[in-house]
Amino acid sequence: MIQKKICMLGGFAVGKTSLVRRFVTNVFSEHYQTTIGVTVEKKTVMVDQQDVMLMLWDLYGEDEFQHIRESYLRGSSGYILVMDGTRKATLDTARLLQQTVVRTVGPIPFVSIINKSDLQSEWEIDQPAIEQLREQGWPVFFGSAKLGQGVEELFGCLATMLLSPASPPRTCL
Amino acid sequence: MTDQSHRPDTSLSDCVLAALDIVVLEWEEGLREFRLQGVPPEWWSQCVGSTIRNSLDLSQCSPFLQDYLGGIHSVWQGSPGPIEKSGAWTEPDRQGGTMTLEARPLFLGPRKLVLIERLGSDFEHMRSIVQRARERMLAEDITAKSHRNTETRLIGQLEASERTKDDALALLQQLGLAAIVLDERGQITFATDRTLEMLGCAMQEILGRPWDQVLSFRKEDRLLIQHLLEGSSKIHSSGPLCFEGASSKWIELGIHRDLAHTGRRILIFNDRTEVHALRQALNEQASFHDLIGKSPAMLRVYQLVRDVAQVDTTVLIEGETGTGKELIARAIHSSSARKHKPFIAANCAGLTDSILTSQLFGHKRGAFTGAIQDQQGLFEAAEGGTLFLDEIGDIPPQVQTALLRVLQEKEITRLGEAKPRTVNVRVVAATHHNLSEDVLRGSFRADLLYRIRIARVQLPPLRDRREDIPLLAQSMLGQVCAATGKTVERLHPDTLRLLMSHSWPGNVRELKSAVEFAVISCKGNEICPMDLPPEIAGATVVPSPSVFIPLSGQDEKTRLLAALSEAKGNRTEAAKRLGISRATFYRRLGEFDLASDQ
Ligand SMILES: Nc1nc2c(ncn2[C@@H]2O[C@H](COP(=O)(O)OP(=O)(O)OP(=O)(O)O)[C@@H](O)[C@H]2O)c(=O)[nH]1
Ligand SMILES: [Mg+2]
Repeated sequence: MIQKKICMLGGFAVGKTSLVRRFVTNVFSEHYQTTIGVTVEKKTVMVDQQDVMLMLWDLYGEDEFQHIRESYLRGSSGYILVMDGTRKATLDTARLLQQTVVRTVGPIPFVSIINKSDLQSEWEIDQPAIEQLREQGWPVFFGSAKLGQGVEELFGCLATMLLSPASPPRTCL
Repeated sequence: MTDQSHRPDTSLSDCVLAALDIVVLEWEEGLREFRLQGVPPEWWSQCVGSTIRNSLDLSQCSPFLQDYLGGIHSVWQGSPGPIEKSGAWTEPDRQGGTMTLEARPLFLGPRKLVLIERLGSDFEHMRSIVQRARERMLAEDITAKSHRNTETRLIGQLEASERTKDDALALLQQLGLAAIVLDERGQITFATDRTLEMLGCAMQEILGRPWDQVLSFRKEDRLLIQHLLEGSSKIHSSGPLCFEGASSKWIELGIHRDLAHTGRRILIFNDRTEVHALRQALNEQASFHDLIGKSPAMLRVYQLVRDVAQVDTTVLIEGETGTGKELIARAIHSSSARKHKPFIAANCAGLTDSILTSQLFGHKRGAFTGAIQDQQGLFEAAEGGTLFLDEIGDIPPQVQTALLRVLQEKEITRLGEAKPRTVNVRVVAATHHNLSEDVLRGSFRADLLYRIRIARVQLPPLRDRREDIPLLAQSMLGQVCAATGKTVERLHPDTLRLLMSHSWPGNVRELKSAVEFAVISCKGNEICPMDLPPEIAGATVVPSPSVFIPLSGQDEKTRLLAALSEAKGNRTEAAKRLGISRATFYRRLGEFDLASDQ
């Protein structure tokens, strides 16, 4: 079976672990337990009639206490940049991480998600900022690990991109 | 012994490894597999399942380990440098929780090893610090955000209220409303432009100052306002009050409580100066001293009185009986420079020669029978002031001579005395006679007439100023009610119509007695036609005024007789019908030699 290593990247507490948990075991917890190091989860998805095993590397959040360890990134087929809509600073972190990945493993496929869409009224990341990301070629999803919205689409889209590396499927954008 | 002591002790190294809680894997180049060295810690089986013959089956390893061990050859082949650790990773433990592991490569000569350790309490300690730090950052983020939101909301509210304030201010200024706001201590916190204009000062001069230092009201008005300010009701209106600002103003004051801030008051000033002046002018025109009326005829009289008061000459007031000649005399006196000196009125009608002389000029004790002591006359009593001689046409010839002398010499001589006394008295005389006719008839001295008629005021009869009747009647109604304690408020329009059409031979006096009569008869609070005396109530046609004037000669004699016969010989009733006093009626009868006939 095809295996693909996917890294979950983003600032701390943006919901990386929650998205993986929702995707893999369909559970969500309000309780925040920060990830130290990495936890790897697996999930098989079907892309173009074939099973693909996604190895989801849920990394710790990037912040002043922990910087991304480049060794974790090696061998990645793709990555997901997670942002928290209610904290504008997480967008800047996502940009920095994206540059780090390009430097470390090259321009591999990625998607991005602005998480916590259930709190949309409190969002700080506004439409112009989102437009700017899209103009730079970022596939941007909106979703909520809490409500399970946009989660399947997010992982599904990246899996499709990994198998047909030409360009992100139209449905992603 | 010695040999034995240098032999490698495998069981010891196993024990040491076990004590360190470390897994040691060695790469067997020939077999191209990892082999487990020594006895692994019990947690190890979680990561790899069961290990057969100490050889490691990578496909059985946890995903992280597969990835790490699969890629480690590139590390070994790479240039020697700092040995790179795997970084921490999490594996499920036996208890259903997680454990955190970390791996590192190790070269021992040609031997390639990988050490895997389980991160212990130091790591847990570090993890809890990071956890707390991140939770605090999230909490601070939320607080900061809520502060920002509050700030934005407050700024919005502030801007909105500033806008509302500006709008309200603009509106206020546009309306030209004079208003000030007082705080709890009565100090001015705001004033409109119109107020500043009214006060003739700038905003900074009055802000924070107590209202009573800024608004110059008269003392009694100030006390009234203070009282109103202390009151608890929402609105007080008062005034007009005299406001002694840059120029004196009459204002109407509205005191409103600020509903938003108890204790604060809003004072609104309405400039009523113009209205006040107009009203005063109107009042002045409607009455003059005690005279009531605003007909052109009366306005001319008021002006004449004002003119006459300016000079100190003798005045003759002419008018029918009941027109108010004495009121005119009093008005002249009180408008003149003599107003603080006495005003003495004497009726000269029906008095004998000697009594009148003694009354006017005084007498010496024993001058005549009954003169038991020295007595000053009215001239002396009126010293410095005005002596009003009513019915001057009735004074006997001797007294006329004496009077002429006083007017010429300004001296009087008491009866029974020889020495004249100087007097300073202004004489105002009045008559209902036509004195010129009396002069022709020889009953009045021509030189005296000229002496007293230097100035002349002619009072119109009431029928010539009917437009004053409502005003007069209403004013009399008030006076009569006050005197009798009855509360009659008004005259029925029909009553007024009757009063207007009556010819009033007895003039204002007749009107007054008609009103008195009506008030007594009146049952309600409105005078109806039937409350009026019968001769007025019964009248339907306005009789020709020519029947009533002049009150002289044959016409008058006929009228007296007619009145007497209508009153069936009752003289009081006849006098009333003619609107003249009983005394005048008797005198008239005497003049026409009718006194004894009837
Ligand atoms: N309302 C809401 N809360 C979410 C959502 N996703 C995650 N959270 C909460 O956000 C907090 C952080 O979620 P995690 O999934 O632990 O975030 P993380 O990115 O893995 O954090 P680190 O491991 O510290 O980098 C937790 O309290 C979650 O319950 C979401 O979609 N909506
Ligand atoms: Mg996490």
